[in-house]
Amino acid sequence: MKPTTLLLAAATVMMAGLIACSKTETAVAPAPAKELNLFAWSEYVPQSIIDGFTAETGIKVNYETYASNEEMLSKLLSGATAYDLVQPSEYTVEALIRANKLSPLDHGKIPNLGNLAPEYTQMPHDPGLKYSVPWMAGTVGIVVNNEKIKEPITGYSDVFNKKYKGRIVVLNDNRELVSWVLDTLGLPVNQITADNLAKAKPILADWVKLVKVFDSDSPKTALLNGDVDLGVVWSGEAAILYKENKKFQYVLPKEGAHRFIDSLCIPAGAPHSGAAHLFISYILRPEVSKLISEDFPYTNPNLEARKLLTPEQLENPASYPKGNAKLETFTDIGTSAADIDKLVTDLKSSN
Amino acid sequence: MSAGFSLQQVQAESQRQPALPGWLLLSPLLLWLLLFVIAPAAILLVYSFCRRDALGQVVYDFNLENYKRVFDPIYLRILWRSLFFAGLSTLFCLVIGYPVAYFIGKAAENMRNLLLVLVMIPFWTSFLIRTYAWITILKSEGLLNSLMLSTGLVSLPIEIMYTPAAVIIGLVYAYLPFMILPIYGSVEKLDNALVEAAMDLGAGPLRAFSTVILPLTWPGMVAGALLVFVPALGMFAITDLMGGARVPMVGNVIQNQFLQARDWPFGSALGVTLMTLFILVFWLCSRKLKPLS
Repeated sequence: MKPTTLLLAAATVMMAGLIACSKTETAVAPAPAKELNLFAWSEYVPQSIIDGFTAETGIKVNYETYASNEEMLSKLLSGATAYDLVQPSEYTVEALIRANKLSPLDHGKIPNLGNLAPEYTQMPHDPGLKYSVPWMAGTVGIVVNNEKIKEPITGYSDVFNKKYKGRIVVLNDNRELVSWVLDTLGLPVNQITADNLAKAKPILADWVKLVKVFDSDSPKTALLNGDVDLGVVWSGEAAILYKENKKFQYVLPKEGAHRFIDSLCIPAGAPHSGAAHLFISYILRPEVSKLISEDFPYTNPNLEARKLLTPEQLENPASYPKGNAKLETFTDIGTSAADIDKLVTDLKSSN
Repeated sequence: MSAGFSLQQVQAESQRQPALPGWLLLSPLLLWLLLFVIAPAAILLVYSFCRRDALGQVVYDFNLENYKRVFDPIYLRILWRSLFFAGLSTLFCLVIGYPVAYFIGKAAENMRNLLLVLVMIPFWTSFLIRTYAWITILKSEGLLNSLMLSTGLVSLPIEIMYTPAAVIIGLVYAYLPFMILPIYGSVEKLDNALVEAAMDLGAGPLRAFSTVILPLTWPGMVAGALLVFVPALGMFAITDLMGGARVPMVGNVIQNQFLQARDWPFGSALGVTLMTLFILVFWLCSRKLKPLS
């Protein structure tokens, strides 16, 4: 779930897609007109996987990208394009299942489902993987540039310290922000009640004043550029930073952290359900799943694929964090999202 | 049309009402306006009176809640700040753009086109890439700071990125050509004889400028100001990328309703409010235009 909104990146992906499409069209022109409409996060599906799938099955993949679950939802629900595969995060999977917008998976067509680590098959949003197959997982945690910050940083309360005013980057995601405060207060992150928000407000007001950059798309940029020294970011971003320079250390906050799981799902009424099942089964192969990890170093839920990773990849603390921090997934909060949005907008603008 | 018509008759005819060929020629534009201006605005207007369900779909039951929320002090404050930033950017664009446009307009014919091309060349590159270029220049360890540090102008890097100043720099940079081009249009048409006459009649350079040149180039300034102010008011990418999204502008709030809060109706209400503001500004400008021209 690295929502690289950068139109820039999207444009590059689209260009690559166009080139790939024109290539495959000439290559498999005589094959029957089979296709697959894939709607996925930008910068999350390696081109090599799409090319490999087309080469093997002759199915042309129309890859369209989005930058947030909400963007995906609105396009999917509008029904303008009949998508065969979407890639929502756990709380959106839950909302889609509840609204009967997903088609149940035929496990008989996905024989390699057993490659997944057991912990990812019994998640609260879809126990037993009836509707979704995990693509990648990750956490939201703390990155510290330990050349600049010498004190130990173990949790949110260490990050949001007056000492670091103007040295902090955080995700520009209102729900994430609120969940960190709820964790700090020891409140459940999925109970967005007026009461809990009122308790969170004064702390969040202090924190917002300390932050220099809010960026969900590429929070690593401010850290790499030296504009900030620590932050709370997606683990995939942190993993890339760590690969770049070991001074960027990843810490799971002791108060608790958000674990997210992005999964492949087949929308109800998808026109090419067969091709969608083929694609799911294709990406579950260890040697294919490995390619995702190489380009996007999140936590790979595929145990067989993990065996193919290099020790260096496995030792990246952002991809495979050690320790036993409390990890929680988000549930769908429906209309409460508006209350969160209002609260954070209010606090940011009174800065 | 029969050959019996005199030229005057034909002209009189065509002035009264465009004939069928006229309408045909206009139709692509009218269709475009209908499809991409009128229809989306109408959808926005309808949505703004609706409600959202838990999944974020629009539910059609008429209510005024969204507009009540627009006038909540939180959002009014944001709107006010956005107006201020857009206004300040427009002012900077005017102050920087006017002399440039005047210089180009008065340059020799063959130089003029070259200079105009130079003004427009940045458009050949993606707007986002140009914004990233600014980040490279302004960041703590960026080009500007290393230059100033190495020349001893400053002893510590100055923080420009992720401040309001960075937002203004970004906005002025992005919209400056929109100010230069219309003013250039006015300057180019400016009859030098009028300026010379003013000088002959004893006006100093300042007087000639304020009583002759300024009123004659006023339409270009107003057009430029509108072209800068309106998009600057709704801009969200620059405030996110260069301002660090610390202080939300109305463009960011609207974007959030659609992409994060799943609240299209409220986003639409903010959009409609903004559109009303644009129309108001446009109306004020066109009124102002009359007495001076």
